[in-house]
Amino acid sequence: MPDGHPNLNGIWQAVNSANWNLQDHPAYAGPMWELGAIAAVPAGKSVVEGNDIPYKPEAAAKKQENFKNRHTEDPEAKCYMPGIPRANYMPYPFQIVQTAKDILFVYEYANSNRLVNMGKPIEDASDTWMGTNNGHWEGETLVIDVTGLNGLAWFDRAGNFASEKVHIVERFTRTSPDHLTYQATIEDPSVFTRPWTISMPLYRRVEKDAQLLEFKCTEFAEELLYGKYKKTGNGDRK
Amino acid sequence: MSARQLALAIALSALVAAMPVAGQAPQKSYTPPKTPWGDPDLQGVWPGNMGVPMQRNAALGERTALTDDEFAKKQEQAKKQAQADSESTAASDTKVGIGPPSYWTERGKPTRQTSLIIDPPNGRLPPLTPEAEKYRKEARGGKGLPGEWRGAADSWEDLNIYYRCITRGLLGSVIPVVYNNGNQILQAPGYVVFRNEMIHESRVIPLDGRPHAGPDIRMYMGDSRGHWEGNTLVVETTNFTDKDAIGSNGAGYPGDPGYHSDQLKVIERFTRTGPKNLDYRITVIDAKTWIRPWTILLELQKDDNYQILEYACHEGNYAMGDILSGARTVEAASEPRP
Repeated sequence: MPDGHPNLNGIWQAVNSANWNLQDHPAYAGPMWELGAIAAVPAGKSVVEGNDIPYKPEAAAKKQENFKNRHTEDPEAKCYMPGIPRANYMPYPFQIVQTAKDILFVYEYANSNRLVNMGKPIEDASDTWMGTNNGHWEGETLVIDVTGLNGLAWFDRAGNFASEKVHIVERFTRTSPDHLTYQATIEDPSVFTRPWTISMPLYRRVEKDAQLLEFKCTEFAEELLYGKYKKTGNGDRK
Repeated sequence: MSARQLALAIALSALVAAMPVAGQAPQKSYTPPKTPWGDPDLQGVWPGNMGVPMQRNAALGERTALTDDEFAKKQEQAKKQAQADSESTAASDTKVGIGPPSYWTERGKPTRQTSLIIDPPNGRLPPLTPEAEKYRKEARGGKGLPGEWRGAADSWEDLNIYYRCITRGLLGSVIPVVYNNGNQILQAPGYVVFRNEMIHESRVIPLDGRPHAGPDIRMYMGDSRGHWEGNTLVVETTNFTDKDAIGSNGAGYPGDPGYHSDQLKVIERFTRTGPKNLDYRITVIDAKTWIRPWTILLELQKDDNYQILEYACHEGNYAMGDILSGARTVEAASEPRP
């Protein structure tokens, strides 16, 4: 960029199975047999450094509970905003719009977005799904300090989670014209015994006509969320 | 309207579509700053407000500005309203509705503009085509297209996308409503982003002259392409669905949800007319729905203190569950007991 900082502009996407499960996992069946192999989970290697997510005991139990109820309780199923870090490794592209000042991240999934303030740090006004984002450059790396997350988003379809006390530090480094290295350190003393880190490459969508399309998924989740309140033919509750 | 008149109207609308005069940028001379890569710099937060009605009071005819007297009256009303908005408690006999409190309302400073619609010259929406009238009347087996909540609903599909928190669509996202009228323009080399607080939209608009997405790809916010005409950013948007309604923002388009067809084409013109002034014109062309194109003008003021917050509409949509479960409860109560 003219200001001497690396240019992160572009459409990027993860190519891994982190959105299914951040940790080492074999292939396994999906939660709905009706969908056969379509909803099955591909095997994947851990994006968690050391593979271990250091849950406190009660939080580990909550994670197991989340996994059991994932087909109805995963906020992704409800088309809720993905939160950070999950937005960056969902199976949808996102676009970094790096202006001469602030940096906007636009995600195709649920048209969620977040503006990274590159000026004097701002305080979180209230808890949100996508957080309060303050960024700065450390050499070639964009560092984003994320606070003010509401703790309602999950980290993956396996039910990994944190609370509204979570503090995340993300690092985006352009390692080649078409690659970024993404790293996020997750700290939440109410859920974990120590901070832990995920990292993965992100790939540029190099198609000449690459663009974000629309994935407004609310209408795909209404039957799940409100189906029980729909009027059936005979006037009974469904 | 006779078939001949209709044919003339369609021919005229095609002509106007080719030359949307009112949609042209204003002829004021102001040279905006440039981005480091040389584009005119439109960046900043440009919130809308509810001060100007969508359609002009018919009594004003073709008058686009209020007289001194009318403006003074409007200012007086605004003062009284501001006083009422600042009351921290309500009288004990006040009727409380389900709407937001009055102090939430983003009223803005009064201006002389008599209507957002500046073309047709009477400031009113043009008539619907006979085809659109028929479609609206006959939709969903005669129930009409989903509009405002009328007290009962069988399904979410009986409610418009305002209630469903899907989106307000391109037009509903910018036509001002009671709150969350923040708009922000951001620029990067080759792109302009138009960001709307309502409902967390970010239209990323390429400026490289690439063609639109294929016709089978339909989007609520459409597919936008931009280019510069002098210091004016011109954005042309196509590929719309026919599922969103201009009036789905709940205000600004009174009396009708304002459904458009999938043939909708929107041409936006963004021109800075001063350090803190943005002339934002939107021309709406949909020959399947309206007999002629129409244009609205939003005179936006830059406000760097306005903070666009995350509007998690769907995530916090308790109203939908309450409306539907309420309707089922009422039905169950009115069923004869065995």
